[in-house]
Amino acid sequence: MTQANPISSAIALIAQHRVAAVLIFLLLFPLIMPYEALALNILIFGLYAVGFNLLFGYTGLLSFGHAAFFGVGSYLTGITIVHFGLPWWLAIVAGTAASGVVGLLIGFLAIRTRGIYFSMVTLALGQIVYYAFYKAERWTGGENGLRGVTVEEINVFGLTLDFVNPLTKYYVLYVFVALALWLVSRILASPFGAVIESIRENENRTAACGYDVARAKLLIFTLSAVICGLAGALRALHLSIVPIDSLHYLLSGQAVMMCLLGGMGTFFGPFVGAAVFLYLEDVATSFTTHWMAIVGVVFMVFVLFFPKGIWGTLVQRWQRWNNHSVVTK
Amino acid sequence: MAEITLQLLMLQLLTGLALGAVYALLAIGLSLIFGMLTVVNFAHGAFFMVGAFLGVYFLTVTGSFWFSLVLTPTAVGAIGLLCERFLVRPLYGRGIDYPLLLTFGLSYVMVEAMRVIFGIDGVPTSTPSELRGVVNVGFGMFPLYRLFLIAATAVIVLALWLFIEKTRYGLIIRAGSRDNEIVRVLGIDISKIWLLVFGLGTAIAGLSGLLAAPTRAVNPEMGIPVLAESFVVTVVGGMGSLVGAVVAGLLVGVVFSMTSLFAPEYAELSIFVLMAVVLLVRPQGLFGKAGLMG
Amino acid sequence: MSEPILVAENLSRRFGNFVALNNVSCTFRQGQLTAIIGPNGAGKSTFFNLLTGAIAPSQGKIRFDGRDITGIAQHEFARIGIAKSFQITNVFKQLSAHENVRVAAQMRASRFDFLRSRASLTAVSKNADTLLERVGLAALGKRLAGELAHGQQRSLEIAMALASEPKLLLMDEPTAGMSPEETSTMMSLIRTLSTERTVILVEHKMKLVMGLCERLIVLHHGELLAEGTPDEIRANAEVRRVYLGQG
Repeated sequence: MTQANPISSAIALIAQHRVAAVLIFLLLFPLIMPYEALALNILIFGLYAVGFNLLFGYTGLLSFGHAAFFGVGSYLTGITIVHFGLPWWLAIVAGTAASGVVGLLIGFLAIRTRGIYFSMVTLALGQIVYYAFYKAERWTGGENGLRGVTVEEINVFGLTLDFVNPLTKYYVLYVFVALALWLVSRILASPFGAVIESIRENENRTAACGYDVARAKLLIFTLSAVICGLAGALRALHLSIVPIDSLHYLLSGQAVMMCLLGGMGTFFGPFVGAAVFLYLEDVATSFTTHWMAIVGVVFMVFVLFFPKGIWGTLVQRWQRWNNHSVVTK
Repeated sequence: MAEITLQLLMLQLLTGLALGAVYALLAIGLSLIFGMLTVVNFAHGAFFMVGAFLGVYFLTVTGSFWFSLVLTPTAVGAIGLLCERFLVRPLYGRGIDYPLLLTFGLSYVMVEAMRVIFGIDGVPTSTPSELRGVVNVGFGMFPLYRLFLIAATAVIVLALWLFIEKTRYGLIIRAGSRDNEIVRVLGIDISKIWLLVFGLGTAIAGLSGLLAAPTRAVNPEMGIPVLAESFVVTVVGGMGSLVGAVVAGLLVGVVFSMTSLFAPEYAELSIFVLMAVVLLVRPQGLFGKAGLMG
Repeated sequence: MSEPILVAENLSRRFGNFVALNNVSCTFRQGQLTAIIGPNGAGKSTFFNLLTGAIAPSQGKIRFDGRDITGIAQHEFARIGIAKSFQITNVFKQLSAHENVRVAAQMRASRFDFLRSRASLTAVSKNADTLLERVGLAALGKRLAGELAHGQQRSLEIAMALASEPKLLLMDEPTAGMSPEETSTMMSLIRTLSTERTVILVEHKMKLVMGLCERLIVLHHGELLAEGTPDEIRANAEVRRVYLGQG
């Protein structure tokens, strides 16, 4: 062995305490962003991409219907606040739980198919949820979205916080994101985490090893839906409205794009992807209305030349360079 | 609500078949590409949309629906050929998800390209003058154009069937969908066949866009629901089956139009519910082979 | 004679109109190293897939340890004590060799627990180390499985199969595509394994199994042609005709 390279040991330290590393970064994140709304967006969509990555990056299942879970999380949080007057935190719980239930139902149907059929079926089942919420205008506001999800101040342990202040809002939502990231990290480091990775590698082999693949898929599908639902719930509180776009196919696609852009199957990748995607969108839309063309081209370039994404490619390059320098020494 | 008579039911059935004809064409294009290249074309809806735009454009420029009927699939197929050659081809052998992801990115670019060229609101459409009016179909008056849709689809399906069953190229395509290796052993350049099939599949998507244009709003986003609907048809019919695509296409069309008659607010939902039922009862689709979908 | 461990009763399997296996009945005995042989297209792979649960029979029954296991799910097989190694190498390519075996061994300890730490299952990890050593891969635990040589991947697969501590191990052409040296290493490994548990091989090469197995089952055109000791099979006129007939 060579002597400890300071960069290598720093990377090892970050990898070992990955949750802490992300949380420290996100804690300082609003300070380096041009404005808080963008930081909030990245926080929320980063979590959405993390939830999606559980399924796509780690289990190898490419869903094109994840907007359903994000949207259900958003809507149920909004509906319980607007129509039932639930306290904000209970509304988050309701929204997240509802996405879990929808995840279980959609998952039950979708896992009956394999490979690309899975992508097609999840897309189509996602559309069911879209139309259902679109038509239930009395509850969801239909095309105009659900308005009036207003939470102006919140009480935490006797403390009254001004929820209209974007920075306060950021740190309140941050607590939920932190909990979710901790959970995701636990899942990945668990025995079950090993099972989903082997399903990604070889489904038949995993079954031959004695694992009920269908059940494992259903479990990870539901867990992924729960994480994405939480992200949706947080967005409802952030925006004070729930736009119908929350359930749209394009939002399902956005999860795929952010995940691949950042690096699927890596812990940090989805956040990197979400940050780059939303930052690019923010910059691009200020000078062109044709943002979709840019994102489409960038995405195709990544599929063709950098399938491991930004973070994945960086890690790979670093490892290669590191191995190389060890050899030449 | 008007009284539901047998006559009304028959007319609605015919409307459903006209709608289903477009679905069948879409699913055939999708199935053709998948059967040969094992690529799910996520830009299929976008090719449909481009077909609708170009159809209207060629109709305006040439003034003849029949010219447009030839020019549109040719142009859309040409775009398809370019996409296969330069974008999809480098991804073969890299896992089944990558071509899918690429066509997904491609659909964004196509949508935006149409926005740039034709504007974000889309273009107005009307039934081509040659095919306006209604005809007596025995149990009532029915729009001529919708009858034309059914007939045109029948002709296309028949032509495609003859092409696949009776020609040398068709033989290669049939062999290739079973086992690419066989084709390679026979000394045929399979990449040319793939190119051809991708072009053909996208040309059919473009053609279905052109045919559907007078019956719906032509705008850059129109391909998105169409993509989902063509997936529904494919799952219901079973991937890789020509018969399945036609039967499921017509079935989905009829289910949609019948639900519109009895419970209009559930029309969009109904076809997805149909798919869910098929998934529960027969996951491989009505005409699919067991095992394909696990 | 020892107790039967696996019994096939009138097993048939059709694929559409094609009958891959027709009404095959035979008994595999505890501790006996048995080979299923036959020329190409004899139905060996179908028989293997039926006995290991990859596909279900169209007709007939399979009994294991006296229990009817016909049609149970694939994952149940490993749990009741039937493990297999595949004909085409089937490992988790992007995972380390150690992780491959560790996942296989973990099945007995934990399957769906998503809140516990994997690292706390130290016994599982140790078990994986032992198994890697057993098949001669102790030094390669950290390498990605996909980077190993073909023969090493086959050995890795056997370690994975053994991780479920099976009573019965089925192997589909364990020496396919191997060099002569790799083949002889594999044969001696099979010989050792067969002293600890029941082993059934599917083999294409008749010569290979003649010196190795105690009992042979010969399939031809999806039907049972003969069964017996290597000497009996060698003397069987039908078998000679079939093997010589196809060259």
